[in-house]
Amino acid sequence: MTTGEEHKKVIKESLFKRFENSTVLSIFIAFIVIVVVIQIGKTGGSQFPTFISPVNLLNIVQQIAVPGMVAVGMTIVMISGGIDLSVGMLASLVAIVTALGLSKWHIGVVPSVLLGIGVAIVLDTILGYIISRTKVEPFIITLGGMITFQGIALLLCNSREVMMHGELDFFKANLINGAKDPVTGLNLVIPPYVLIFLVIVVLGWLLLTFTKYGRRVYAVGSNPNAAYLAGVNVRNIKLSTYVINGFLVGIGAVMLLARINVGIITLGQGLEIDTIAMAVIGGTALGGGKGNIWGTFFGVLLLGSIGNAMNMLRLPPEVQYVAKGVIVILAVSLSTVYTNISSSISRLSKHALSRRDI
Amino acid sequence: MPDEVLLRLENISKSFPGVKALQNISFDLRKGEVHCLCGENGAGKSTLIKILSGAYQPDEGGQIIFEGKTVRLNPHLAISMGIQTIYQEHTVFKHLNITENIFTGLEVGKNGFLHKKEMRKKTVEVLKYLKSDLDPDALMGDLGSGQQRTVEIAKGLIFQRKVIILDEPTASFSVSEIDNLLEIILAIKESGIGIIYISHHLEEVFKIADRITVLRDGQKVSMYDLKDVTTEKLIKDMVGRDPSSFYKREDVPSGEVIFEARNVTGNGVKNISLKLKRGEILGFAGMAGSGRSELMNVLFGAENIEFGEILINGKVVKQASPSSAIRNKMCFITEGRQDTGLFLNQTIASNTIIANLVNTREFFMSPSSDYKTGDKFIKLLGTKANDSHVRVINLSGGNQQKVVLAKWFNTNGEIFIFDEPTRGLDVGSKQEIYQIMIGLLKQGKAIIMVSSDMPEVIAMSDRVIVMKNGEVTAELSKNEVSEENILIHSIGGSKI
Repeated sequence: MTTGEEHKKVIKESLFKRFENSTVLSIFIAFIVIVVVIQIGKTGGSQFPTFISPVNLLNIVQQIAVPGMVAVGMTIVMISGGIDLSVGMLASLVAIVTALGLSKWHIGVVPSVLLGIGVAIVLDTILGYIISRTKVEPFIITLGGMITFQGIALLLCNSREVMMHGELDFFKANLINGAKDPVTGLNLVIPPYVLIFLVIVVLGWLLLTFTKYGRRVYAVGSNPNAAYLAGVNVRNIKLSTYVINGFLVGIGAVMLLARINVGIITLGQGLEIDTIAMAVIGGTALGGGKGNIWGTFFGVLLLGSIGNAMNMLRLPPEVQYVAKGVIVILAVSLSTVYTNISSSISRLSKHALSRRDI
Repeated sequence: MPDEVLLRLENISKSFPGVKALQNISFDLRKGEVHCLCGENGAGKSTLIKILSGAYQPDEGGQIIFEGKTVRLNPHLAISMGIQTIYQEHTVFKHLNITENIFTGLEVGKNGFLHKKEMRKKTVEVLKYLKSDLDPDALMGDLGSGQQRTVEIAKGLIFQRKVIILDEPTASFSVSEIDNLLEIILAIKESGIGIIYISHHLEEVFKIADRITVLRDGQKVSMYDLKDVTTEKLIKDMVGRDPSSFYKREDVPSGEVIFEARNVTGNGVKNISLKLKRGEILGFAGMAGSGRSELMNVLFGAENIEFGEILINGKVVKQASPSSAIRNKMCFITEGRQDTGLFLNQTIASNTIIANLVNTREFFMSPSSDYKTGDKFIKLLGTKANDSHVRVINLSGGNQQKVVLAKWFNTNGEIFIFDEPTRGLDVGSKQEIYQIMIGLLKQGKAIIMVSSDMPEVIAMSDRVIVMKNGEVTAELSKNEVSEENILIHSIGGSKI
């Protein structure tokens, strides 16, 4: 119910709310600054902080490329109001299938890769179909998917590793051979899969921001009932996000296989946790309708650089779990704090406005 | 002692921001009587019930006297004093059985364990007393709504409630279920329980009431003993506003028929036919639950049509889903603005462009053109917002409704369904919406308007269709439309 007074108010929004990625960006910058300051403090400023040396930055990007690709898919799924817990085991399954294709079934590189990606798309599509046609929570369905995929993967490889002989090495060839880091003098490396990651980020951004499809994904996540009455095919939009996600998991898994060079069940372990965390840090809401690819991109960078920073600071690797956890909690709660601050500011200014009216 | 007063309200008022829901209501309930509350939608019946159940606190000045003592009720206190309310949409635990439902929260214990035998025994006894053949071990979720109501009444008996309030208990009941419930009510009043009964169905009221109180616009109009009153008298009391206070709308000449429904059946509505002309508002009146919104969902393709056909501009169309309805130039401003109309956490721009995507061929779209469209409609409709970057959740009700309108205007639709277009809006916003609707008529568009706001239906409609129990009971032309006529057809006896 509204009163006449409320009716007259003109609503303003603070810049904080308008620039969606402010939370993740500020945490990311704060994180870099802290690590750099500690490094400088340790060496007394005599050395360039190695954390932000070009070779280390490229190193970080290599580590995050694969989870980053999957995080893009996860973001799209989550914006539409879903979630996919199966991505980790799906990636393991795809890697094992591809490795088997290469080293056991000998069907050649291209067919093996296509087979792997195809398996990912088909399986995630099945999950998406069940989710979009029933009312069962996606959390439950994809949890079931995760366990099933793990089982299939273990059956296929007889619970053993599938050895490879570097058939996929071209995915990690150095594109800038010979380039040296001016700081450390070490070789700089940019493999193709890093470029693929960046392309996927840009494509994901274009898809969500500049297409009819993207607008419908947000609408479905924000209010499926209203979306249906506005002529959106809610079920097919939901389904399609899982298809896209499956495709990205397929590509990611093949890249992972190329990096590690052995098909093994642990390849994708924990990937679902990492990618959901990346999306959430980047401002994607579990409830749907909120989030964007650049936010996720910074979430990927932030989460991905924690482990690396711990190494640089010579902290035990166990600490990185604590740091990751704290950052997830910080990112999510900070965005609420920001909202509270900005709404109380706007309340104050509204108060001032109404006083002026009198 | 049949005449002993159990519960008395004196000068009870309740105001909400901008609305006086109840004004100086006095009301009493005796032991062993059925006191019925009658009134139109929005007359204040539900507010009164919520005060009695402790959900709302009345304004200062009035008092509630229960068994001779002045009390301040809260939901917990009301129940522990013996006032049980059975709501329209009742809360049951579907996965528990009847016995467990009755005793949830009030379990009988023995040595720290549940005394299941005792609870079951009591349930069997009370069901027997109610002449019900329900199995105390049956799952609540497996029961029909009539049977669930019986269980709730059984609960009231077991815990020896003194007052039982039933709010529209028979909505969605079959005829035999209604008879059953009325019998049970007559039986339990013999045990000295006071019953407050609310129903739109006057037949039921006349079957069980001892006294009847009529409310209108938050005020008590009259109170009768059953023997002193007739249906006509009740309806006269329920209406009686001064028509000169209604909104005065401009007349717009009507054109050819643009929309037609023939024998439409499905989603709980039966055999509905209607014709809608350009430049015309066709009003839909009826009590809550009469099937009007259900019909609108069918007409818009959101629910399946089982039988019948829909014609647009004289051609039969297949309305398989809302997207085909939008392609056929239909627009549906739904009843639940926030539930089914808006994307609250999105910007005005995103809300404005979404429905017209159906008509857009291009796959690629730029955000800046979204914002331009959003800004265009902010200007056109006079929405109070800086620009279309504002998120809809930050707008007031009237401005949110304008965003809903912008979403549909952007589709260039011609056939508008307005379901409760001004519910919850203040007078100023209402008039703005009315002017916008008249503006649509002037452009040669057509409007179907569902409204439970009687002055709104009368003031705005060129013709009114009245519905009851999923069927059309009357179609009233402009000069037949009056509060009394509408009420007679929406609540009166089965034969008109």
